[in-house]
Amino acid sequence: MRKLIRAAILSSAVAVAGIASSAALAEDSITLSNLSYRTGPFAATGIPLMNGQRDYIMMLNDRDGGVNGVKLNYEECETGYSTEKGVECYEATKGESIVTQPWSTGITLQVLPKSNVDKIPILAPGYGFSAMQDGKTFQWAFNPPASYWDGASMILSNISDGNLDGLKGKKIAFLHLDHPYGKEPIPLFEQMAAKHGFTFLPIPVGLTEMQNQSAQWLQIRRERPDYVIMWGWGAMNAGAITEAVKTNYPMDQFIGIWWSSLDGDLKLVGDKGKGYRAISWSLPNSEAPVMQDIKKHVVDAGKSLINQGEGEFDWVFYQRGVMISMMLVEGVKAAQEHFDAKVINAEQLRWGLENLNIDEAKLEALGMSGMIPPFSTSCSDHTGHSGAWMLQWNGSKFEQASDLLTADREAIDALAKDGAAKYAEANAPWPVNEECKM
Amino acid sequence: MFYRTAGQFKTDYQSDFALFPVRQDAWLLAFILLLAFVVFPMTADEFTFRALLIPVLIYSLAALGLNILTGFAGQLSLGTGAFMGVGAYACYKLVTIFPEINLIVAIALSGFFSATVGMAFGLPSLRIKGFYLAIATLAAQFFLVWLFQKWAWLYNYSTSGAIQVPNIDMFGITIAGPNAKAITQYYVVLCVVAVVTYLAINITRGRIGRIWKSIRDMDIAAELVGINLMKAKLLAFFVSSYIVGVAGALFVFLWRGAAEANLFDIPLSFRVLFIAIIGGLGSIMGNFLGAILIVALPVLLNTVPHLFGLSISSSAVEHLNVMIIGALIITFLILEPHGLARYWQVIREKLIIWPFPH
Repeated sequence: MRKLIRAAILSSAVAVAGIASSAALAEDSITLSNLSYRTGPFAATGIPLMNGQRDYIMMLNDRDGGVNGVKLNYEECETGYSTEKGVECYEATKGESIVTQPWSTGITLQVLPKSNVDKIPILAPGYGFSAMQDGKTFQWAFNPPASYWDGASMILSNISDGNLDGLKGKKIAFLHLDHPYGKEPIPLFEQMAAKHGFTFLPIPVGLTEMQNQSAQWLQIRRERPDYVIMWGWGAMNAGAITEAVKTNYPMDQFIGIWWSSLDGDLKLVGDKGKGYRAISWSLPNSEAPVMQDIKKHVVDAGKSLINQGEGEFDWVFYQRGVMISMMLVEGVKAAQEHFDAKVINAEQLRWGLENLNIDEAKLEALGMSGMIPPFSTSCSDHTGHSGAWMLQWNGSKFEQASDLLTADREAIDALAKDGAAKYAEANAPWPVNEECKM
Repeated sequence: MFYRTAGQFKTDYQSDFALFPVRQDAWLLAFILLLAFVVFPMTADEFTFRALLIPVLIYSLAALGLNILTGFAGQLSLGTGAFMGVGAYACYKLVTIFPEINLIVAIALSGFFSATVGMAFGLPSLRIKGFYLAIATLAAQFFLVWLFQKWAWLYNYSTSGAIQVPNIDMFGITIAGPNAKAITQYYVVLCVVAVVTYLAINITRGRIGRIWKSIRDMDIAAELVGINLMKAKLLAFFVSSYIVGVAGALFVFLWRGAAEANLFDIPLSFRVLFIAIIGGLGSIMGNFLGAILIVALPVLLNTVPHLFGLSISSSAVEHLNVMIIGALIITFLILEPHGLARYWQVIREKLIIWPFPH
């Protein structure tokens, strides 16, 4: 018993010392929290992304001592992709963190209305509401560098070789998760189908049937669509790809959104997945200077959490995580410069994210040219619309398979304006940024 | 000594049947209410309200609804999550169709929708019992969640298929929606839960409650002494689903702020069922104890490593959390299969005779 008490006293003394030292560190640091999910049904897709985000920030802290002399404090709060835990994490982190990264369309839905009240920017790169591009309405939400509607439009333009009227009479099946995330691009597809005369066939996959999609693929076999476009996440991607291989669906007619490009899912089928394509606004390049720095400062130093045996370092998702942290850090840098401050607050970061300017020169300086298309945001455009590339699985990894694609801005902007107006109306009184004259 | 009942004489039946025949029970309740109404609101911050106090109250209410059906009337149900969904969607439609409606009225009315639906799915209980009935209510679970997804009118044809709570004012104070303060939402939830609990206590210890208990214990005997089984069972489904529906409306309107159909899927039903079972079937207080264990304890455990300045990654904490909660549930159920409420009874009896062992 006495030993036990002694151990308890000792450990609490260590703990107190720990608190004291962390308080000393807190002077010159910025907390960037991430609502991560390394557990639960979507962990397989979450882990490489979170690792990429984490490792980029760790590399900056190690190589440059943070950003302009300020340490970046990267903190994760585990949600397991559950919206309930997400809200808990949002409430827990909003005090210290200057940003919230909700990492699920469901959690984004919950925190979006609160962001106006709590005045904390939401960074949802490549996910969330497509209508969030309207920065005047969604003042605190950012989804650079491309929205789901951009992705849908670019996929259509790629499969029709740039001429959407060429799709006339064709049948496109849309295999999607039956969830706000999967439903998001449907309005755009429907509009495009009416305009260009192709048949659009939505096939929902329920959360409980992600792993067993035999019913959905039976329907695909019966309908014989010319293309299958997939909006999948987590276990659904692997389920769909294995099922497509099983039913011998031609892989070169099977295209996924950027969240359906996890190397691990395709490794399951290997050569048989050859020809599968996915649109992506990031391009893995393990030789790029930034990746080499991460390798040197984080991975080789043994500080990374990645699974090196699996080659996670080369994965699309891991390197996309790096790009996501880059956007956040560039936002911090822009804000530091504009406000001439070292430690910035949430409102200043909002300005930074609204004035992101990622051009070729900056990418070159960051050592990541060619890994993400250049883009810039403004007070009226919170997405940036960088465009994207098509990636193709060659049997062992994803390769670039197209030039930079761009989305049909005219159709999307009209739809986004409409969506934002509807959202603001349904949530009245909703504050709109009147100062923005763009 | 602490709980000395000696000297508290009852001279008429009325005082013997009072809500609190023992004076200390009343004091204890007064103390808890004082904590809930005065002390917590003065000390809690927004995180405590939103992650601990409000969810515990709402889950307790949902479990209370289920407990009336399962614990008092003996009808096993796995459709609680879906009935909560009916309450939530009904409340959403009421609020969007009649924007002028008082939210409390809307919540009270939405309970009737889920009560009607619950009664309809309770009809099989007249023929089937036990596990077979559980399967029938499981059908309600799947059907209703499917309906929430497919019937676009329910979510006003929004593209995401989710419902969003608008800002709702009552007497000039915003009580729901993004602009609402956590403390006002807490008070609204607390008042609703307190009123419903009071009513539930009185229903369950009165004539209707005794009818339910007699059905639970032996339905043939109950029928032989002249109880109309159909009426009583359907009434149990009605009352239970009403409370569950109110809990569902509170769940979305005063806590979550937005909801998609999957939220009301089977994991929610199981969660509420676990709260009721671990708290203690056939008890009112058990629901609150169960909710504290299942809802609040994981949140508290999450903050423990931070308090001691230990830097464990949040996913490791989550894994540990699941293990600890699982172990606790098993331990509690092995030590006392009748749930946490029974624990309190044992402790109370010990306190009454303390310091004597028997």
